[in-house]
Amino acid sequence: MKRNIQQLKSTLGQMDQRHVRIGLLVLTLVLFVLGAGAPGEGSCC
Amino acid sequence: MILLWAVIIGLLAGSIRAWVGGRPLISPDLRLIWLVPVALVPQVLAFYIPTIASIWADNIVATGLVVSQMLLLVFVWFNRRQPGFWLLSLGLALNLLVIILNGGLMPISPETVTKLLPNAAPNTWELGSRLGRSKDIVLPVVETRLWLLSDRFLLTLPNRVAFSLGDVFVATSTIWFLWAMGGPKRYSSPMLNFLCLLRQN
Repeated sequence: MKRNIQQLKSTLGQMDQRHVRIGLLVLTLVLFVLGAGAPGEGSCC
Repeated sequence: MILLWAVIIGLLAGSIRAWVGGRPLISPDLRLIWLVPVALVPQVLAFYIPTIASIWADNIVATGLVVSQMLLLVFVWFNRRQPGFWLLSLGLALNLLVIILNGGLMPISPETVTKLLPNAAPNTWELGSRLGRSKDIVLPVVETRLWLLSDRFLLTLPNRVAFSLGDVFVATSTIWFLWAMGGPKRYSSPMLNFLCLLRQN
């Protein structure tokens, strides 16, 4: 029982870490495209 | 904001690919990831916070945009082995080239502005000036250096937006990179990739 809980904690921890990494990566890409692109928007003025 | 659609589409495509293949999404190790938010600071100050954006002179904004995009180019160079990043660097380099050659802002022709802002009042924009608080400067085609790389394409749906060839490459490579995140794990060495492929088969 104790071992199962530890395994579950470990799995959840790994999942959280992976999701955080992917979230950071997507956030970086969002910032990157905002900076790298130069589209003129109809809502600009 | 139109380029954000590339992130959404890419993320959906990559997630579906991973789900179909029964794999988790890969989170590649990007180098110098901290450089992206740092590089964006001048642009946030110049374009994205209206109260602050209005205080800068156009030449300061132009310098900030060029410095910012150069830092982003350093980031893509250090990550050039990632899927799609060569195209990302090409798109960014094309945008940066046309921006530098035209005084630090992305040129847009009056004809494109007329289509982009069909209901704008006559004094909304003028030749040789920045278009609102955007990254664009309104320049006639004959006075634009490398007009082919300027914001000359127009999309009317979902919003009206003018974009450049560089923007197309940035959007395509973003989708490509996110699509690759849903694929099998890649290694930095081609030999390791080959051995991994052999093992799978």
